Amino acid sequence: MLHLHSLFSSQNIHHPQSAKKTLQNTGVLQNALITLFLLILATALSFIYFGISQNSANVALLYILALVLIAHLTDGYFWGIFASLAGVIGVNFFFTYPFFAFNFTLAGYPVTFIGMLAISLITSAAATHMKQQMQILADNERLLVEAEKEMMRANLLRAISHDLRTPLTSIIGAATSYLGNEDFLNQQQKKELVKQVYEDSNWLLNMVENLLSVTRIQEGVANVAKSNESIEEVVSEAVIRFKKRIPDVRIRVQVPEELIMIPMDPILIEQVLINLLENAAHHSQSTEPIFCYVEENEDMITFHIRDYGIGIPPDRMESLFDGTAYTGNSSSDSSRGMGIGLSICKTIITAHKGRIDVTNCDKGSDFYFSLPRSDEE
Amino acid sequence: MNSKIHIMVIEDEKNICSFMATTLSAQGYKVSTAANAATGLSLSTSSCPDLILLDLGLPDRDGIEIIQEIRTWASIPIIVISARTQEKEKVLALDTGADDYITKPFGPSELLARIRTALRHSNRLRTDSLLSQRPYQADGLVIDFEKHLVTLAGNEIHLTQVEFKIVALLAQNSGRVITYDSMISKVWGPYADNNNRILRVNMANIRRKLEKNPADPHYIFTEIGIGYRMLEDNGTG
Repeated sequence: MLHLHSLFSSQNIHHPQSAKKTLQNTGVLQNALITLFLLILATALSFIYFGISQNSANVALLYILALVLIAHLTDGYFWGIFASLAGVIGVNFFFTYPFFAFNFTLAGYPVTFIGMLAISLITSAAATHMKQQMQILADNERLLVEAEKEMMRANLLRAISHDLRTPLTSIIGAATSYLGNEDFLNQQQKKELVKQVYEDSNWLLNMVENLLSVTRIQEGVANVAKSNESIEEVVSEAVIRFKKRIPDVRIRVQVPEELIMIPMDPILIEQVLINLLENAAHHSQSTEPIFCYVEENEDMITFHIRDYGIGIPPDRMESLFDGTAYTGNSSSDSSRGMGIGLSICKTIITAHKGRIDVTNCDKGSDFYFSLPRSDEE
Repeated sequence: MNSKIHIMVIEDEKNICSFMATTLSAQGYKVSTAANAATGLSLSTSSCPDLILLDLGLPDRDGIEIIQEIRTWASIPIIVISARTQEKEKVLALDTGADDYITKPFGPSELLARIRTALRHSNRLRTDSLLSQRPYQADGLVIDFEKHLVTLAGNEIHLTQVEFKIVALLAQNSGRVITYDSMISKVWGPYADNNNRILRVNMANIRRKLEKNPADPHYIFTEIGIGYRMLEDNGTG
């Protein structure tokens, strides 16, 4: 899915270096704790085992097991070597005669020590190598994602520039033709030209407001400035602004009897409502009034924009909200801007942890989105 | 018109400035323009316009400062011009002393309506304060401030004390936006909690009493993030 916010916010750039640094700081403490915990665990288990069987050979095995785990779980070589040293001393101190005293003159002692050291070095090396490999894989994946975003951004910019150029061409054309032929045009023709400029610039304005609204969503999905808003106020303002834009539109509005306030960024939700209303007015090819209503569920509030027109072609249902609609070749006038508008709706609703979808009804289609009633996860 | 009403436009965008100047002159207003705050301030002190249209995004100074400065010596109505997404600035401008705002882009009819409303309110304040005591009348809604009486198409509407205070405040300033904060302090007093939930609840109740459809209001409009605006008094009781 294409998230537009990530395409627009420059703050979204990853900082691998600072991330690594903090990782190292917390890493030292964490490594020490892991090492200490496993060594104490091994010692405790050894005591229990030794108490039962009096066999110090298997005690060494317990330490080796702890050693392997430590080498595997910690970063670098230090903690493995440290643990092997501690293991050798521990076995010597606790579990070989004389008990609770050191005696490094025992036969075969250097072999034990070198053996444990070798095991810990090899395991540490393997673990470190594996971690490096994983890091490289993760980096590659991140680079791929970035590259994909970059491509999306390029596609989007291309689509927007195309979409913006069309009305601009028409505005410039109309204005030039007015200025150049003023004396030859009759009143009716002049009026037509100015009307064309007016309509196209209104369309441009809508597009620009959409793009601007996306810049309100910053740094990641969960970051919209929410406040408790009364849904009837948001719906009514959206409807009023929409009516101002398309004065002869027919629309029926209904909200629940009781006042409902839910957390949202009202400007963004208004934008979603206007986009959906605009869609219904322009693409349903119906003159029946659009029905905008709000449904109340236990933990969600659902806003519906219902039109009674031609519905959505089934093959477009899938990709309607994901922003691919405008990357295709079908930049016919009838659908211009629709893709961007809906994909912005999806971005906004996702940022509110809500859901947006559409279904075809007996007659026409029902675009709806739900918002959670409270901020809790 | 014996003396033309003088409007000062302080706006740095040349095209917008000339569009406004053309529209206003066509309506019989006398217009002077300033492209930055310094010129605007010195021109307004020397010529004392009847109304100022002020763009919030001027190159040399912050719009809020200009409002503060003008308010130190005059109560000339100021209408602020701003972009849609700058709610905080709009609220700040209104609470600093601007009379109203208009959002870019706007059409000539909207601009003229705002100017008429602002001039009407300032005239009322100057000429006779008693005049503002005459009942508010618009599309069948009548609010009698003295008798504390609200009627809709002749039928009395029962409002609570607080609800009446809110409706009366909006009606006395009809056509102008009133910010949440100024409503709260005027209805509940200056020390009231700035939580506007209580205001929303009261507004919801008022809407259910006055409007046919609360989601499609006719009398009281919400300006999201800013405040409320009541349908301008048009004398049709």
